[in-house]
Amino acid sequence: MRSLVVIISVTIGIFGGVFAVAVINGAIEQRLDDALGNEISHIHLNAPGFRDNFDIQLTIPDLEKVMGKIGETEHVKAVAPRIIITGMANTATKSAGVQILGIDPASEEEVFNLHAHTIPGTGDFFETESRHNLAYIGEDLAKELNIIRFVIDDGMLAGLAEKQIPPETLEKLSGYAGHRFRSEDDFEKKIKEILTRKELDEYGRMIREAAWSFSERSRMTLTFLDRNQVQTGAVFRIAGIYDIKNSAFEMSRVLVRKEVLANLADLTENEVHRLIVRLDDADFSGEVTSLLSENFSDLEVLEWKEIQPDLAYTTSLVTQFYAVFMAIILAALAFGIVNTMLMVVLERTKELGMLTAIGMNKKRVFSMIMLESVFLSLVGGAVGMAVSRVVILLTSARGIRFSSFEEGFEAMGYASHIYPSINAGFFITVTILIIVTGILSSIYPALKALKLDPAEALRTE
Amino acid sequence: MKIVEIKDVHKIYNSSEVQVHAVNGVNLEFEKGEFAAIVGPSGSGKTTLLNMIGGLDMPTGGEIVVDHTNLAGLKSSRLIDFRMRNIGFVFQSYNLIPVLTARENVEFIMNLQKWPRRERDSRTFELLEAVGLKDRANSRPSKLSGGQQQRVAVARALASKPKFVLADEPTANLDSKSSENLLDIMEQLNREEGITFIFSTHDQRVVKKARRVITLEDGKVISDVWKKKNGSPA
Repeated sequence: MRSLVVIISVTIGIFGGVFAVAVINGAIEQRLDDALGNEISHIHLNAPGFRDNFDIQLTIPDLEKVMGKIGETEHVKAVAPRIIITGMANTATKSAGVQILGIDPASEEEVFNLHAHTIPGTGDFFETESRHNLAYIGEDLAKELNIIRFVIDDGMLAGLAEKQIPPETLEKLSGYAGHRFRSEDDFEKKIKEILTRKELDEYGRMIREAAWSFSERSRMTLTFLDRNQVQTGAVFRIAGIYDIKNSAFEMSRVLVRKEVLANLADLTENEVHRLIVRLDDADFSGEVTSLLSENFSDLEVLEWKEIQPDLAYTTSLVTQFYAVFMAIILAALAFGIVNTMLMVVLERTKELGMLTAIGMNKKRVFSMIMLESVFLSLVGGAVGMAVSRVVILLTSARGIRFSSFEEGFEAMGYASHIYPSINAGFFITVTILIIVTGILSSIYPALKALKLDPAEALRTE
Repeated sequence: MKIVEIKDVHKIYNSSEVQVHAVNGVNLEFEKGEFAAIVGPSGSGKTTLLNMIGGLDMPTGGEIVVDHTNLAGLKSSRLIDFRMRNIGFVFQSYNLIPVLTARENVEFIMNLQKWPRRERDSRTFELLEAVGLKDRANSRPSKLSGGQQQRVAVARALASKPKFVLADEPTANLDSKSSENLLDIMEQLNREEGITFIFSTHDQRVVKKARRVITLEDGKVISDVWKKKNGSPA
């Protein structure tokens, strides 16, 4: 029974530790994938000094030659040019400081995955041809500028009724039919006021999604200083809203067609501020960056670790965190095993005395205690790892939604829907450490067993 | 043939308050084939003497020679090995290994000595048959009565063909019928196979069966009586 309790404790401890590491690892991997896939990609080339003040004049010289040479470099998958200008985004009610990115949709689609995060029904910026100026903005910016509204109307209520929302809940919402809320905050305040906690927990998501409203006629004005430092701007139709669960990015980036922005900023078609390079494998980013630096010594060439050092730092820091975390788990395991095995030695004092009396030598007694300890660790560890593996497999497919912390996660650039993941190397390392812990934990109890005097031990009740 | 020689053996326990002279100048010899009982009141030194004969405890003075080997001269690991090969033990509370079956308990010492499987199996069943438990070979101690467990203990003690068997109060936890049964088996083994038994006991049934009765009091031998075949003192 005692052994079973120890095994269960070890199982729970190992499962807890491994699963926690898998969740954190999944979050970090996702953040990295999102950052590389949607925000920064692998390598940036800028004119020297551009990143310091985003001077509109600092464009990349010999653009075509540079792009051609980059395209020939091994491991380079695609290159996207960008014009980058800081400015203001304005609607009738709100305004926000933004970075306006003039892009070429075709090459942008090859370098980034942003287009895959377009909210359905908001447009198709990357495919649409139009006489209007088109813009592609983040959901959080759209909410900030009141481009996205929250509306309770008959259509929304009918949709909710079809989704089996209880009549009493619909009754409460229908009291506000026809109401267009000024902001998301206002909408949230109201539904928290009229609905119960239970209704919010069960139906809140559906209600928010149904009330979310965007008009295809939505427009905003983008204003900035052109290359001659003259205030300029234009009206842009919103042709798509993206959601990458990164508030900071969504609030600050507006994508428009490169030629439109170049025209407004008085730049030529060959004047861009940045070239963004996507590689076939991120592991080669250091190597390719060095090569491009040599080839383009008059440009600033940076790999993703230099562009966003906090990302690289987080990735390396988290590895150290895993080590500390598992060390704590294994230390707890070790103490548990030591305690249990000391109890075993105490309870079996008479038996150990008898075994020594009838001829079991010290080496065998030592091995017996050690094997029992290793067995407990191994069985508990193996079951814990197996349970972890199954749970990780299940949750990695569906993900775990941390809805309550969605806002906080997105503010830091992390998705709140996490897909736990762990690599095989970690499993192997932990298994080896469990065995080592079991062996080391058994030493003290085994030595205690050896010190037993058989004559005295046999007298024990 | 002498198998145990006890020469002026003393055992003194020193505690912070008092010095206890548990065994005080005992001189004894045991021959092969003896069926001897060491008797005396509690605290007379019977168990201490038995433990020293078995090498579980070392005398403070004097020497104990078993089969021409001075036990005090052996290092710990050699002593354990010597015990395994030469001395069998039967304890008051059986001390069988609870997770092993009767057969596995008997085989245990032979496994330690790395006996070949066939010989080990043969010897095990031979011993279990001798103690009348061949049909309970696969039962664990929890499924056996006290008497049956003690019989398994006897079989285990004999497994490695020891020079002699030390039995410390073997009948203390048994009812009268089981005690008689056990003693009959041990007597039969002694008679038919010449196995030497040395008992430490309070039990008059053991005393009655023993052919030699050594009485201890306050750590000293106060009488050493051999019996005639009719059971009366020689």
